[in-house]
Amino acid sequence: MTWWQALIHAGAVAATGGRRDDVEQTEQGTAELVEDAELQAHPIPEPRIPSAASFLNGIERWSVVAYDGVVQIVNAHVAAAVCRRDRQGVLHTTGELHRSFALAPLKRMSAAMRQKLEQSCADIEPVEGDLVEQPARYLEMIESTVRKIRAHHERELAEEAIRDLGEEEWLVLDGRLSRSPAIAKHPRILGAIKSHGAQFLEGRGLERALTLPAGHRTSVFLVRGGHTRTEVYSWYLRLWPWEGNDLLYGLLRIEARADPETVRQAAALSGWLWAERAPLATPATRWDRLLYPLHHVEAYLNARAPRDLPSRRASSRLPRLAS
Amino acid sequence: MNAPAIGRVVATELKPSTPHEFHFWTATETSIGIGAIVKVVGTPLHDRIVYGVVTEGFAYSDLATPLHDVVGAEGDPTSAEAPTARQQIRYWTAAVLRQTPEEPLQPVPLGQVYVAGDADVAQALRMDAFLYSATPTAIPVGLYTSGGREAPVYLDADFLLGPEAAHLNISGVSGLATKTSAVEFLLASIFAHFPAHKGRIAAVCFNVKGSDLCFLDQAGDLNDEDRHRYDALQVPAQPFKRVQFYAPYKSDGVNLNTLRTHPDLVGDVEPLTWGLQEVVDFAEVLLNRDDIDAKADAFIDFLRDRVLGRTFDDGFGTTHRVTTFADLDRLFRSIFDGLEITAGGRSDTWRTHHIATMRKVRNRLLNISTRCKGLVTDDGPSSDLPWKEFADRTVYVIDIANVDPLGQDLVFARVVSKLREQLERRELGVDAVVVFVDELNKYAPGDGPDTYVKKMLLDISERGRYLGLVLFGAEQFRSQVHRRVVGNAGTQLFGRMDMDELATPGYQVLSPATKSKLATLPIGELMVRHPHFTQPIFVRFPRPPVLRGRDGVGRFPPAEDVPFDDAVVRQLVRLDRRVRPNQVKDLIADREQDDVRRALAAVRRTRPDDAFAYFRKVLGGRVEPDAALRREHEVVPPLNPISDEPY
Repeated sequence: MTWWQALIHAGAVAATGGRRDDVEQTEQGTAELVEDAELQAHPIPEPRIPSAASFLNGIERWSVVAYDGVVQIVNAHVAAAVCRRDRQGVLHTTGELHRSFALAPLKRMSAAMRQKLEQSCADIEPVEGDLVEQPARYLEMIESTVRKIRAHHERELAEEAIRDLGEEEWLVLDGRLSRSPAIAKHPRILGAIKSHGAQFLEGRGLERALTLPAGHRTSVFLVRGGHTRTEVYSWYLRLWPWEGNDLLYGLLRIEARADPETVRQAAALSGWLWAERAPLATPATRWDRLLYPLHHVEAYLNARAPRDLPSRRASSRLPRLAS
Repeated sequence: MNAPAIGRVVATELKPSTPHEFHFWTATETSIGIGAIVKVVGTPLHDRIVYGVVTEGFAYSDLATPLHDVVGAEGDPTSAEAPTARQQIRYWTAAVLRQTPEEPLQPVPLGQVYVAGDADVAQALRMDAFLYSATPTAIPVGLYTSGGREAPVYLDADFLLGPEAAHLNISGVSGLATKTSAVEFLLASIFAHFPAHKGRIAAVCFNVKGSDLCFLDQAGDLNDEDRHRYDALQVPAQPFKRVQFYAPYKSDGVNLNTLRTHPDLVGDVEPLTWGLQEVVDFAEVLLNRDDIDAKADAFIDFLRDRVLGRTFDDGFGTTHRVTTFADLDRLFRSIFDGLEITAGGRSDTWRTHHIATMRKVRNRLLNISTRCKGLVTDDGPSSDLPWKEFADRTVYVIDIANVDPLGQDLVFARVVSKLREQLERRELGVDAVVVFVDELNKYAPGDGPDTYVKKMLLDISERGRYLGLVLFGAEQFRSQVHRRVVGNAGTQLFGRMDMDELATPGYQVLSPATKSKLATLPIGELMVRHPHFTQPIFVRFPRPPVLRGRDGVGRFPPAEDVPFDDAVVRQLVRLDRRVRPNQVKDLIADREQDDVRRALAAVRRTRPDDAFAYFRKVLGGRVEPDAALRREHEVVPPLNPISDEPY
């Protein structure tokens, strides 16, 4: 018996993995319970799926495509799309925004190269050239810039989608709601957060949230965070049993508008989102937390992304053996 | 491009496009299916039009493994349906029918896919060459109906009826009214569209089972859809205008051995009866190979060359003129008596032939007249096909369904040999004859002994197209028919097939989906292979314009066999409507039936103005065979002597 088997034998919960979760690019938030006196785990009821729902997601891709001296010139693509689910469960794209552009510190480029870039590329996003001599930090800055542009597109598209949203229709976003006040305050928009870099709970409440059984949600709490500082209500929802995996396995954090109605609806909304576990969003690596419709939107955007911008995960420079 | 695209060609490293095959996807809801003809229009960079036929279809979702579905449903197949439908694909494989330009032959480009229109179908199947030429040779075979279209599909007469290629073979399980119906429709189509510059054409159909072909002159039931198809194919929806039916007699020698004996129809049936000469010419057909050795063969040839139809001295003082089985029997008795009595039993050979050999041949030959009684008569050919006078666009139906297999072989061998001989001499009356033979499994099996009939079918298959002798063969199991018979068929039709049959090597070229479609093919749909079509094509054809056998028997129930005297009356009345039945019955009341049959045969041969008077005259005494029929021996040479042994 190994030492960890001895621990499990003594009552510890078996686990595998220990992978690093993506860190949310946000400040540490604060939480304030708006349901129950203490954070509780609530079983979720039988799911009731709304007759109409749309799903919004976005992608980003970028790659260094040229060097002007040590200046790294980046080709980037961001896109976002909304898909509406029809009564047969088939998703149809109802809105899409995309942008393919160059990122370059124009002031740090040689005159000839800058002129050539400006002549040949219609969309250039200028970036600061302070970090040019520090390539690694420069690339972090590039990544952050691209992500912001993507977030901007998603926000813009979400605001468009709100205008088209039917009376009974819900919109589920991949990520946080606090992108804009209009989004955060809409009565039928939910944010599904898969990454748990920012923790809003502590102590007993945090433990209850992270050890939430499958098919349960936590009490609703108020979150104040993000650059808009807009308040939203939130709760955790466990889609799949974490035992045998890791604490964040199958754990979603849901955001909805900060309104007492949200507390009343939390159970029913959790039931709905729990039903969205199927079909599995495989082969996505985080299928345990990724709702299939959001995965579909991402797959759609990836399929339409420029072929010369490979996903950053495909890092091998060897030719592929087969398709 | 008027119609919208229905799909897009996709090619990957594992499933690339080739010059002969490509893959494309469509929307989940699409009108196309296996057998649909599609058109690929290349991009301006790869300016090329490709026509293909769908041979395989796939549907799959983004589910990486079935286990993920189990996990998603938590192992419960009855769990609620997932709220979102998985992304799925309809992915098709198509075989290339034609590329434009044809050279250089290149892989199919990535392009948009369209449902083929009528003009596209003609292009794809290379029908434009014979459909729009100065001397068109197009014969409609059916309608291509996939994807909601109705495009006529044509066969090239030069490749269906010769001389470029010829023959047609049709396979399919029994009982689905496909094989016979298809041939009946195709004959109607040929008669309507056979080009004038190719001359005159007729068909000889052997009815080998039931009443399949007994009502080709009667209109069948057609619905509006059938009529619409006839209009689309420009074939008249009418029964055959000119049909001649032939059937041998039953063993009583007066009732016809056919199911077309209803009083309203039996008058059109001509008796088919042959005599000794016709039988001996084809003795090899009738005599079992194991039964006949070189000595018997030699004796039969001796009879044929030296005895039949000639004045012949038996060497014991008797002169014979052998024209009938009775004459032959008398000759044999005379020889045996001569050897026994005159020679005192000291010799057992006659003209170098051993008595045992002669006894064996006698038994076999005389047995034929017993087994085929009704077809074979003592008095020579009283009734036969209208040799040298075949008429254009006429169907000659020979009903041998109820004839002894030996008799069927004889009829088939003699008729086909005569057709071959007269076509060779260009004296048949038509330039081409379609011979329809059902049950090729029986007549030309892939294994078993080399019978005369099989050799004859092989000969037609391999050389008939030069003569205009075209074989339309049908069978249930193509794999069990001689390879050269089916292999030489330029055009092949397939109805619904048995899965076991489809598993045989001959069908390996077909995709699993095509096989699956063949195994479930509805009535009225066929798969066609033709020299101009690079891939099999599915077509629908209307029900034949004639009364189907089963329906015909219902509408025209066969008459019960009538007594001998009534049958004689009926035949005489048919020849001369003035004949009074009672007169005939009184005349034959106390006469030998054989005498009456001979008299009747004489009347049929002579066709006198006053049938009854002539009948009474010839019945008066021994009715001698007509001298005019004592023709010189004109043997139709056998195709290939079965035995290589010398005479």
